[in-house]
Amino acid sequence: MMTRYGTLILAAVLAVPFTAMPVRAADPFNELAEKTNQKMVKVFGAGGFSRLNNYGTGIIISPDGHILTVASQLLDTSELVVHLYDGQRLKAQVLAVEPELDAAIIKIRVEGKKIEEPTGLNLAYFDFAEAAKKPLAETGDWVLALTNTFEIALRDEPLSLQRGVVMARTKLAGRRGVFEFPYTGDVYVVDAITNNPGAAGGALINRKGDLLGVIGREIKNSLSDTWMNYAIPVQAKVDIKIKETVKDKEEEKTITVTMPDFVTQGMQGKYRTVTRPKTTVGEGGYHGIVFVPNVLDRTPAYVEDVVPGSPAAKAGFRPDDLVSFVDGEPIASINVFNAWIKKNTRSGQVLRVEVRRGEALQTLELTLGAQPTRPQPTQPAPMPKTP
Amino acid sequence: MTRFVFRALTRVRLLLAITVPASLVAAVAFNFAAAAPIDVDKTVIDAQDQRIAAIKKVFPAVVAVCMQGGQGVGSGVVISPDGYALTNFHVVQPTGPLMQAGLADGILYDAVLVGTDKVGDVSLIKLLAKEKGKPFPYVKLGDSDKVRIGDWSLAMGNPFSLAMDFTPTVTYGVISGTNRYQPPEGKGLLEYTDCIQIETSINPGNSGGPLFNMQGELIGINGRGSFEKRGRVNSGVGYAISINQIKNFLGHMHAGIDTDHATLGASVGTASEDAPLTQMVVKQVLDGSDAERRGIQEGDQLLNFAGRVVTSTNQYKNILGIFPKEWRIPVTTRRNNERRETLVRLMGNIATEKETQPKGDGPPPPMPKLPAPKGGGSSEAAKMYVTKKGYANWYFNELERDKLLAEAKKHGDFAATNGAWTAEGKYEMGERKGDFRFEITEGKDADPIVNLKLNIEHKLAPLKDTDRRLQAEPIGSGGLMLALYQWHRFLTVGAKGFEGAFAHGGTEPFYPYPADGSTPKSITSLRTDCAVLKTKHGSTEAKWFFSLKDHSLVGFETFTDKEREDPCEVYFSDYKAVEGKQLPHRIEVRFKDKRYAVLTVSKYTLGKK
Repeated sequence: MMTRYGTLILAAVLAVPFTAMPVRAADPFNELAEKTNQKMVKVFGAGGFSRLNNYGTGIIISPDGHILTVASQLLDTSELVVHLYDGQRLKAQVLAVEPELDAAIIKIRVEGKKIEEPTGLNLAYFDFAEAAKKPLAETGDWVLALTNTFEIALRDEPLSLQRGVVMARTKLAGRRGVFEFPYTGDVYVVDAITNNPGAAGGALINRKGDLLGVIGREIKNSLSDTWMNYAIPVQAKVDIKIKETVKDKEEEKTITVTMPDFVTQGMQGKYRTVTRPKTTVGEGGYHGIVFVPNVLDRTPAYVEDVVPGSPAAKAGFRPDDLVSFVDGEPIASINVFNAWIKKNTRSGQVLRVEVRRGEALQTLELTLGAQPTRPQPTQPAPMPKTP
Repeated sequence: MTRFVFRALTRVRLLLAITVPASLVAAVAFNFAAAAPIDVDKTVIDAQDQRIAAIKKVFPAVVAVCMQGGQGVGSGVVISPDGYALTNFHVVQPTGPLMQAGLADGILYDAVLVGTDKVGDVSLIKLLAKEKGKPFPYVKLGDSDKVRIGDWSLAMGNPFSLAMDFTPTVTYGVISGTNRYQPPEGKGLLEYTDCIQIETSINPGNSGGPLFNMQGELIGINGRGSFEKRGRVNSGVGYAISINQIKNFLGHMHAGIDTDHATLGASVGTASEDAPLTQMVVKQVLDGSDAERRGIQEGDQLLNFAGRVVTSTNQYKNILGIFPKEWRIPVTTRRNNERRETLVRLMGNIATEKETQPKGDGPPPPMPKLPAPKGGGSSEAAKMYVTKKGYANWYFNELERDKLLAEAKKHGDFAATNGAWTAEGKYEMGERKGDFRFEITEGKDADPIVNLKLNIEHKLAPLKDTDRRLQAEPIGSGGLMLALYQWHRFLTVGAKGFEGAFAHGGTEPFYPYPADGSTPKSITSLRTDCAVLKTKHGSTEAKWFFSLKDHSLVGFETFTDKEREDPCEVYFSDYKAVEGKQLPHRIEVRFKDKRYAVLTVSKYTLGKK
């Protein structure tokens, strides 16, 4: 009798770890990757020149083929195409864009059907409204990323899987190229190198497969000049101050923009993009030098790369050059260089730059150009009014 | 997008500057953790123990590949107790044929290049033991077809040449993708087909190092990554050459061959780029290619290649890219709703053949001058290096060839029975049956003569009758008399009888048809892996296939005109002892996808000189 009870208790004890803990430290992520991949698309659109890639990633958020992705220049085309996990190649159209959330909703277009009609696709999808109701992931939580990083996957090839932990939930002092980053809310910063070309619009999920966020673009932290790996949470919320003229009086008004609202209304074609005047900042002249990652306060100004066709390229800068003097001013670090350019220069100005190349100093004449214009996603095509 | 191969170590200064503060941070964190121990779940501890056990098992076999003198250039891994190790071709490119290799025991061993696969970016090297015969620690080859996205993996090697004592650096991460295609790194070299994509951190210096599964089995060789703006350090996307691809080339590399990848002899592409679903079709067939002779035509739909369904261009390149040239691979095509499976002999990769020509600006850094500096420990290694065109190291070809011949001789040594041979028995040619007899003898002037009686009598003097039409007789056999002459010569004279060539040809699949004459379910099911010897005597080239299982000669092919005509294929089975020597008593002769004849031998007479 005792032994029988003993066995029962033992069995109960043994059973607990299996039922209470469905995910374990050593478990591989095979099934999770496979299932999630079916809820994702590869996006192909505008770009393909001067470091703007014409490929990206998207998250399917309805069985009918609504897709959430990043509001990038990629969408600036009438020839938007997505590849499903099974290799199907289908056309898509932008429904809504919100730069304040850096998000866009596109929808698959089926031949012979209007955009507002059901596609009849019945795809696997993430229930976005459900995902947005869940609590935010905490610092230290395990996460997985599925993206079409570097356009490795085409047609039925599965997306790339990466794993990491949430390092922080914070605001991002980021910039894309020379522009301030439009999104001012909290992001998940992750320790995996997720934000590579083509990864924007990818899914950040937890180990249960819940959607946590949308992988962002390639953005450098403007404080450290290092590349950021971040995702915008599905619960994202931004307060925007807008100046409005009401009865000849200028009033400041706060609008709250949230990702769940954007997605719900965007899918219905009812979303209206928030508009506010963009402030332009004196950025100095444009040079086109890409420095090594600025990880230290005084990272020496080593040239990592030169943007093809840029003023720096024309001046003959080369990777591994160490920028030492600009117009006679000693340049101790990347920060010093950036500050000097911002403060003292504008387009058209000619600078004398001395670089150390190998063991010798070399003088280069750099004619600064105008800052390139900000890549802006197109506003969506006007939606037919639905009753 | 730009992709670089991890090659040179630049900007070490800056990297050091980063390393120092990072390690300080780590030290602080450790102290903190020690102050407040955490109760860790058992499953986590178990997973950790398993991981440590896997690392411990393979750690001693990881190689730091170095220039002579010990300067690190990359990584590698030992795969056999006698010191054979895999690395990247681009790692041994700067070292030349003689290099050094450090193991985790802290010892720097002399090593020599054995074989190379330039397109696949793989090289085989051999480490020389300090004490003769002392075994090296080595790892087991895994099955990379079983690797799945999301599996855990371990990468090991010597990134940034950090370890002065050669102890490997271990990184841990998941498999990001399988069956990935990464186009050649210029000039058709370093093409990564069917490769494994990892987020497991690999950096300059990791090149050539092993990728393991969590059982400590070798599943790939790490070699390149995708980078763009972030510089040539880990950007979360690395690639390993799958071990299953390497297995296809390993026999060639062991035999010291400078191997080549293959083309089908026909270009294949999607029927329409814009179609919702892709369909792969044959776009163009190269004149004179085996694909053309096998009846593959423009517009045929390509369904299956080497047993794998073909659905995209990348996948086609993936499948094609894992095979050495000259391998025969089953291909299934469809034309007018009719499916057809055929064996196609793959052609050499033309772009590479051009590349390997001595002139032209090869990829930097250039191969250093030979011979490498002598003296000290390298003299023994230097003795193990012999140059010959088409070979990475001819020394190892002779070694493997003689080993194979010695094994084959165990089935019978025919050196003493080098006189006239006759064989008698029954023949079967389609519906026709009857008695056959063949005789290989010497005529006047000591010239060889082959007499073959099937339904009619045939006669050939192989050295005098050099007309290709005569050599191809009997008509429809592709040159059976010439083949029998070559066989007799191969068995009785051996190496000395083949003035044109007598070399190990690596490994190839061979497809003997069922001995009972039944139709096989699929060609793939016939595959028998063989070691190959390649010979040339007169104008006739031949390939001899020895089963890897027991080194018996299972068949051979003779080419009267290799560029334009199919060979005569001879398949041996039903081996029985004749005067204590094993000889085949069933000989099947095939030509152009058809069976020409089956000879059932009842009696051999082996004459002496």
